[in-house]
Amino acid sequence: MAEALAMCLAALFSLSGMGWLALSLEGHWRQLWGPKAVLNASTAQWLRLAGWTSLSLSALCCFIADRPSMAVLVWVMLLAGAATAIALLLAWRAHWLRILAFRPGNP
Amino acid sequence: MSTHFRQAMTWLHTWLGLVLGFVLMAAFFFGALSVFDREIDRWAIPETRFDPQPMPSFDTVLQPVYARLKPHPVDLAATQQRVIGDLPSPDTLSLSSLYAYTTHRDPVLAIGGEFDVPNKLKDDADEHAHVHGWATIDPRSGEFLPNNKLKIGSEWFYPMHYQLNWSWLNLGYWLVGLAAFTMLVALVSGVIMHRKIFREFFTFRPWKRTQRSALDLHNLTGVVALPFHFFFAFTGLVIFAGTVYFPLGHTLLKPLHDQHEVLEARRTGLPHEPAGVAAPLASVDAMVAEAKRRWAARDMPGEVGLLTINHLHDANGYVSLYRAGSDQVALVGQAIHFKASSGEVLREEAPPGVVGSINEFLTGLHLQHFEHWLLRWLYVLGGLLGCVCIATGFIFFVEKRKRKHAESNDQGSRIVDALAVTMVTGMVIATTGMLMVNRLLPADLAGKGEWEKLAFWGCWSLALLHALIRSAPVARARLNPAWREQCWGIALLAVAAVALNWLGTGDHLIKTMIGQAYWAVAGVDLCLLATAGLALCSVRKLARRERLSVAPMAAEAAHG
Repeated sequence: MAEALAMCLAALFSLSGMGWLALSLEGHWRQLWGPKAVLNASTAQWLRLAGWTSLSLSALCCFIADRPSMAVLVWVMLLAGAATAIALLLAWRAHWLRILAFRPGNP
Repeated sequence: MSTHFRQAMTWLHTWLGLVLGFVLMAAFFFGALSVFDREIDRWAIPETRFDPQPMPSFDTVLQPVYARLKPHPVDLAATQQRVIGDLPSPDTLSLSSLYAYTTHRDPVLAIGGEFDVPNKLKDDADEHAHVHGWATIDPRSGEFLPNNKLKIGSEWFYPMHYQLNWSWLNLGYWLVGLAAFTMLVALVSGVIMHRKIFREFFTFRPWKRTQRSALDLHNLTGVVALPFHFFFAFTGLVIFAGTVYFPLGHTLLKPLHDQHEVLEARRTGLPHEPAGVAAPLASVDAMVAEAKRRWAARDMPGEVGLLTINHLHDANGYVSLYRAGSDQVALVGQAIHFKASSGEVLREEAPPGVVGSINEFLTGLHLQHFEHWLLRWLYVLGGLLGCVCIATGFIFFVEKRKRKHAESNDQGSRIVDALAVTMVTGMVIATTGMLMVNRLLPADLAGKGEWEKLAFWGCWSLALLHALIRSAPVARARLNPAWREQCWGIALLAVAAVALNWLGTGDHLIKTMIGQAYWAVAGVDLCLLATAGLALCSVRKLARRERLSVAPMAAEAAHG
């Protein structure tokens, strides 16, 4: 049970991590907030930091759930899945990712 | 990086990818299916839809089964070609070695063995005067499974993945190996060609024209799963390197290899040759209990995955028990060997060294005997991402050239496009068609498996024919309607397969998911339905693109 929870958390952290890393790129930021939105440097910095922290936490959860040899495989594959999911969301349901910016409407 | 170098890489990537992409596509797709080969077997052979079983008792269940095991007719015929004089009647041959193999996903047990034959061999270099026998049994009762059944997952899709079911001269293995090597080249050259690997990491713009959005998807699926693509192509090569691609131990270095076998036998105390003195077999169940006790003492309790006995009924006979690798990346391991006549421990294998561990990790991560359902599904995802990557590569190739080809009346992109249809939708049609035919044919039909194989190749050939016949619009820079029509075919076949499974066995989804949960069958049904859904979605989108491609310029203007 604890392992399943750790794996779910790992999946969530890898999703949010990839999401924040995507938002730290101006092109994707505009997909959420409109073509005129501006991503200032400090926000981008924060998003990158949040992204990498989240990915690290995802790795940590993987190592809690499984023995190291297995955890490495799960983590690498989770990253691939999460990046694909974020890319598809950006293409078709970009506004869903607004939840990652903790801002419902336009900035 | 110099432009010239980048252009050279582009050329390499384009043409190697095009030529071997067709093989790679099959390797990726059937590899993804092979992750769940045992589950597909259950779906295809309803008699075996029961829960996975541990290795049964040897003394009470397996021993009588091996007494009934006979040499396989196929191997009898093959061996007859290699020996001088007629082989004796198969009923008089006796077993000299045997094995039983199971995993945590197997309800049925694979067994087999070697029968000694008295004949001399025609070729002195040929060392095995054996005939093999093999069978699949129900480990609960010891009953043999009828031999007209093809395990579609593990005996058809899985070999399709690594040798294309083409065993002549091992060409299938070599083609797949060449494709895996090409994959490595394509990944390296692809990364070099890609100018904005980080800035466009998440970029997919389905609203752009096909050429651009296909390239987006090609880059995306190639880059996000880069470690998967790289390690699976690489470990695939590693797995067969020593046996198929560079069998030095059986060619150039054969004397060394044979000498090593003898020395190793001396070092490990496991006899290389029989003593020629008959001896009884002690209780194997007691040896299993002892092995489990020793594994538990090493803090790795587990079940027996592989049981082998060498030099059966001989004083030099020994029993080897390998632990099933369901909790580790490495395959079966931690072998413990027992003297067959007394049951005393001959040798307990030490943990592998550094090189051995790396090799076990690399092969194990590809062959996946572990029990980890999330990782299994992630592997399926990785395989399908690889398929998308190759398929969009084909589409990009065609889109980039078809307008120019239309102007110069060149048929190149038309042919590539038809082959791409065959390799993408056609392959799925062959797969779903085979499953559909499996449920359509009566269970007791003689040679049922052969009919299913015929259905597989038949469906695929029809898909090729259809793709070629319908390909004319590509020569006018339009979309081949075969893409859309074959998606219809996939949807119909997949739904028919699920319906026929329900009608034929009574195992509908409500029963297999909620009533008497049986996820192997429910999973295959759900995947077939998901495939049908995705195919219908594609039909809609393709129809829209076909309408657009009639007036491509206007469409582009509308989308900006």
